[in-house]
Amino acid sequence: MAVIRDVMPAFELLQPTSVDAALELLDRHGAGAWILAGGLDSFDWLKDRIKRPSAVIDLSGIAELRGIRPWQDGLEIGAMTTVTEVVRHPVVRERFALLAEAGELVASPQIRNQGTIGGNVSQDTRCWYYRAGWACYRAGGNICYADTPQALDREHAILGADRCVAVNPSDTAPALIALDASMVIRDMDGERVLPAEQYFIGPGTDITRMTALGPGELLTAIRIPATWAGARFYFEKIRDRNVWDFALVSVASAKVMNGDTIRNMRLVVNGVAARPLRLAAVEQAVAGQPANEATAAMAGSMAIEGAQPLNHNGYKVPLMRNLVKRAIRGVEEVSWTS
Amino acid sequence: MRDQISRRNFIKGVIAGGAVASGTAYLFRGSGSVLGQSSPAGTGERLITLTVNGQARRVDVMRQETLAMTLRYKMGLTGTKLGCDRAECGACTVLIDDVPHYSCSVLTHTVRSRRVVTVEGLAAADGTLHPVQRAVVDEQGFQCAFCMPGFVMSAVGFFKVNPNPTREELAHGISGNLCRCQDYDKILTSLMRGSEYMRRLT
Amino acid sequence: MADKLVGQNYTPLDHVAKVTGRARYAEDFSADGMLFCKLLVSPMPHARVRAIDTSAALAMPGVKAILTADDLPDLNGAERALTNEPFYAGEPIAAVAAVDELTAAEAIERIEVDLEALPFVTNAIDALRPDGPSAREQGNVWGPPAPPGGGGPPQPAPVQTVRWTDEDFVAASAGGQLPTGEPVEQWAYGDVDAGFKEAALVLDETFVVPSTGHHPMETRSAMAYWRNGKLYLHASTQSVQRTVENVARWVGIEPSELVLICEYTGGGFGSRGGGAVSMAIPALLSRKANAPVMMRISREEESYIGRTRTNMTGRARMGFRKDGRITALDLYIVQDSGAYGPMGDHRSAGNAISLIYQPLAMRWRTINVLTNTPPHSQQRSPGPMQGNGLIEPVMTKAAKQLGLDQVEIRRINSPEGKALFGAPLPNGSRAHITSAFIKEALDRGRELFNWDERKARAGQRRGSKVRGVGVTVGPHGAGSIGFDGLMTIRPDGRLYVQTGVGNLGTHSMQDLARVAADILVMPWDKVDVIWGDTSKGLPYSCLSVGSQTTHAMTRANHAGATDLKRKLQEIAARDLGGSPDDYDLGNERVYRRGSSGGGLSYAQAARRAIELAGKYDGHELPADINAATKEAAAGLVGLGVMGVAKDNYPRDGTTYSFVVGFAEVEVDVETGKVTLVDYLGVGDVGTVVNPRSLLAQINGGSCLGIAHALFQKLIYDPQYGLSLGRRFHYTKPLTILDIPSRLQATALDIPDPETPVGARGVGEPPVGAGFGAVMNAIQDAVGVDVFRRAPVTSDIILMSLEHGRRMHEPLQAHL
Repeated sequence: MAVIRDVMPAFELLQPTSVDAALELLDRHGAGAWILAGGLDSFDWLKDRIKRPSAVIDLSGIAELRGIRPWQDGLEIGAMTTVTEVVRHPVVRERFALLAEAGELVASPQIRNQGTIGGNVSQDTRCWYYRAGWACYRAGGNICYADTPQALDREHAILGADRCVAVNPSDTAPALIALDASMVIRDMDGERVLPAEQYFIGPGTDITRMTALGPGELLTAIRIPATWAGARFYFEKIRDRNVWDFALVSVASAKVMNGDTIRNMRLVVNGVAARPLRLAAVEQAVAGQPANEATAAMAGSMAIEGAQPLNHNGYKVPLMRNLVKRAIRGVEEVSWTS
Repeated sequence: MRDQISRRNFIKGVIAGGAVASGTAYLFRGSGSVLGQSSPAGTGERLITLTVNGQARRVDVMRQETLAMTLRYKMGLTGTKLGCDRAECGACTVLIDDVPHYSCSVLTHTVRSRRVVTVEGLAAADGTLHPVQRAVVDEQGFQCAFCMPGFVMSAVGFFKVNPNPTREELAHGISGNLCRCQDYDKILTSLMRGSEYMRRLT
Repeated sequence: MADKLVGQNYTPLDHVAKVTGRARYAEDFSADGMLFCKLLVSPMPHARVRAIDTSAALAMPGVKAILTADDLPDLNGAERALTNEPFYAGEPIAAVAAVDELTAAEAIERIEVDLEALPFVTNAIDALRPDGPSAREQGNVWGPPAPPGGGGPPQPAPVQTVRWTDEDFVAASAGGQLPTGEPVEQWAYGDVDAGFKEAALVLDETFVVPSTGHHPMETRSAMAYWRNGKLYLHASTQSVQRTVENVARWVGIEPSELVLICEYTGGGFGSRGGGAVSMAIPALLSRKANAPVMMRISREEESYIGRTRTNMTGRARMGFRKDGRITALDLYIVQDSGAYGPMGDHRSAGNAISLIYQPLAMRWRTINVLTNTPPHSQQRSPGPMQGNGLIEPVMTKAAKQLGLDQVEIRRINSPEGKALFGAPLPNGSRAHITSAFIKEALDRGRELFNWDERKARAGQRRGSKVRGVGVTVGPHGAGSIGFDGLMTIRPDGRLYVQTGVGNLGTHSMQDLARVAADILVMPWDKVDVIWGDTSKGLPYSCLSVGSQTTHAMTRANHAGATDLKRKLQEIAARDLGGSPDDYDLGNERVYRRGSSGGGLSYAQAARRAIELAGKYDGHELPADINAATKEAAAGLVGLGVMGVAKDNYPRDGTTYSFVVGFAEVEVDVETGKVTLVDYLGVGDVGTVVNPRSLLAQINGGSCLGIAHALFQKLIYDPQYGLSLGRRFHYTKPLTILDIPSRLQATALDIPDPETPVGARGVGEPPVGAGFGAVMNAIQDAVGVDVFRRAPVTSDIILMSLEHGRRMHEPLQAHL
């Protein structure tokens, strides 16, 4: 059978208007179902004719999945809220600016206008072998094409690889973990709430999935507690082009300071593993330390312990180290006019 | 038989181009699928009403059809271009409820109750150009112009949020559009002029 | 005389159509009963089709025809639209026409292709290894071009086998240098050995210039139908008139059997200079299916069949005097010609390098390797841009080591006036250019860019940031000669200028008409340009490639308009007495000099021309014009007074243009991220015809070079020979946020002495200028030994800084 791309196969389009209806459809269509949020990740798979669901369940008509509302002392963001809506929300900007900063660096304006926060955190990896439809581990095969002696793997993992060396592409995911957000997941049997950190899974847990979202489950909302509201945030995304491109490495952190000393901190790096990595050991090590170069250097070295670069991604080791350092001690603003 | 087209109609079609596209199946068959799958039951009408450029029109739309396809090949609105079909170039940008979207990455069935505006909908009925269009002409923005409709729609959408941007803010606002002539400098100059023309009108 | 149009800004005639969406590109046309075409492309980098079973596909309702290579004319080994031996993954093997794209796609999936996998290679240097794979069974490299002469059509270059020895590779491996085994082509002038002996500094550097996709915004979609035995083709091409012959050959018909319509072209950059071979697919499918066929090419398909830049790995050994003057250059280029070719970028690179750096002695050696990667074609500044890439890092390093200013070292080596360049000719002399004012451009730029002030802060570190400045002279051939002008003034009093060039956004198609309007003193609103449809009478024109159009066609239209002017004068003299020389043009009249009023209006003169017939209204044509112009003129006979002439103006030298690029970058040494802070392009491009458009060409061309310096690339997995760069977020064309929100550009506006309008081309030279200037600025910021390849991505910078030496694989392309 010859391969052809760029024509979406026919599918049944289901447009429920409530979460209950969506869950019922998910249940009814089982493995043939495909959840469509903003669609930016989905259409790539569908147009490539690599994923061929029989039924696409479009969530855009479900009002209860949209919007940002108070939750306890923090916020609850409906999974279908667009990235632009999140970024522009005054409370997000005021109290959880880390998320706004991360969201503003997602892809492009049109993608932010359409892409949803739920989709952004749940998107699949962009490994160019896997996305080309090669039959790799993640696609159900028994090889990783990105981990061979000649493989082109500049964008791939340096940590936590297990057969597959793909990385998580999300910009908002590390920010949400840093903010200690939790993910509200529903299925026909009810609701479960997972810490954001546990929402993302590595290949050792399930090599075919990026998240803990199981069959029949729907991410309905993301809750951000007040814990880190107004903390000192740091977000940086290093990418090639300043539009569209995914992070080579990104860092998200929240610090609570006591004078010049870090009282406590949450620190997350993405683009280095199949899931955003919360650096809990580093967090502990820097607590109570001054936010200076020495602490930063110590944190940076700790962060990259165990890193195993591939053919072309050795740079991710110093890059991750340096971004962690910056999260600790910041970046000097420089002027060239004087 | 659709295959037997009279010469007269055929020539007319060529001359009128996109204007007769509604009579031409493009990506998708007029009904059903060639593989004999029937339209799934209980999933809504395929004949839907779309509001495009202020007019409600009935269109026959497949489930998997993107808005760009519907606009270009069902409604004859070929000003909306397909540059990549993958949300990576912006040539297909249209406004949906005043917000710029890549129409290549929107299913037409998901915009049934929304307002779609394409580049053809900017100028007044008498042909008077939209201020942003006027500015592009005055400043000779763009070169080959295949990206132009998408950029113009992005800018018009952005000005609704930020009517008085700096040059840098505008660059961010229209950064979801690619120009391979890389005429970015002149594009920015012309669209900055566009925002000025719009402010003068209000 | 009133203000001339040449040199003034104006509103292009087609801009309103473009901005309202009314301008129609190939894919915007449709026809009732139109079928839709999809391609079956090779999944392997090199294979032979043993069998194709299309029966299941043809049996599907809605499938109307399937085309394979067996349906195509033989092109004597040249690339065809479909193949039975794919030389690269993505090469089309079959095409299906069906009632819609969904059906066509499903039909493709039902075609069984039995492919025999054959050896392949994606990295040119691997093909030269003693036991390396060859891209074709016939060999691994292109032989030298057949010597000209002997009559008959030019013979294709032969494919040969050349293997380098283990010793060649071992000798070079220590320093990660390019091995320099047996070359296929070479030339030299001067005493290279003596030059090195004389040198105060000798450097020996290897550099890799990447291949990139042209990726115009409009893909090569095309729609075709047949009527009364003629093929009507809506397609996207850079050059309308000059595409006809190519399409006719690809389809297997006579040029007179083709009507080509292409009013708007969504960019080209060399990817479709004279059309695209894929245009044969809808044409032949349409004939087979007896219905119009639309072939919509997707972006991924464009990444296969849409052409790419010819990549090079070069090694330059250069000797410098203490003052920076280059005493000797020994250059070796391994050129990757891709799956087809042979490409000639290596030759134009050699010529351009010899021109802009004026080495006192130079040797040029090359080998032109076939690989199983998508076909290359000339990409905006084909050759000179790569040449800038191979040499500029060496220049920067030399200036650093000699303690010289970067502008100064380029200035002292710059050509002036009718400078010599290239290989010795058979008679021992060397070719020369028409003019160069590069030193003036360097001086102008140095001042405008505040070079000295920026230089003072270069290399300093503030926080994690360090800045650097760079400068590069980008050269390119900028004009051909010998084409025809064709125009009429008709009884409605308007001037109709016919042009066969393309309309790909440079506005040159209209600039050319303004040259004619100036000679005829015709107000711009009384000028119509006829273009984009070969049934409308398009004269023999240059290919709209290689920065030729402005030069070539201002000359042709100058000739055509001068002919028309003479005819107006003759008609007036004939009717009103006196000699033609007594008559001037003005106020849309031809009138006797010194008298105000009187004479003939242009409308009257046009009517008289029709009455007089003969040469005046095109019944008689000059003998020396091209056959295509004669045919075009024949369709305009009797419409008015006709200006038609060949460009016979003399030219002493070969025309080159130059753009000097100045760049300042900021590098974050903790991330390797490069930010372009400011950029200036200064054009030495002759007379400015259309200022706004010209500056846009300098900026746009510079941006292409900037993207090559920063991140644009292609990716082929060497083990499987397949493209991984199927999306823009992998191949990285430049976005609006990758450059400062304002670019600076200016032009000297010094006329070229060897052409009547003084204008040279501008499209290409800024590419190498931007490419080199940004790379030089990065070197200036972080050191001259940080990178040896482009694009200079953040990973390369960070790794080298981290380890204190270059850390990347030096000899592999397409990473």
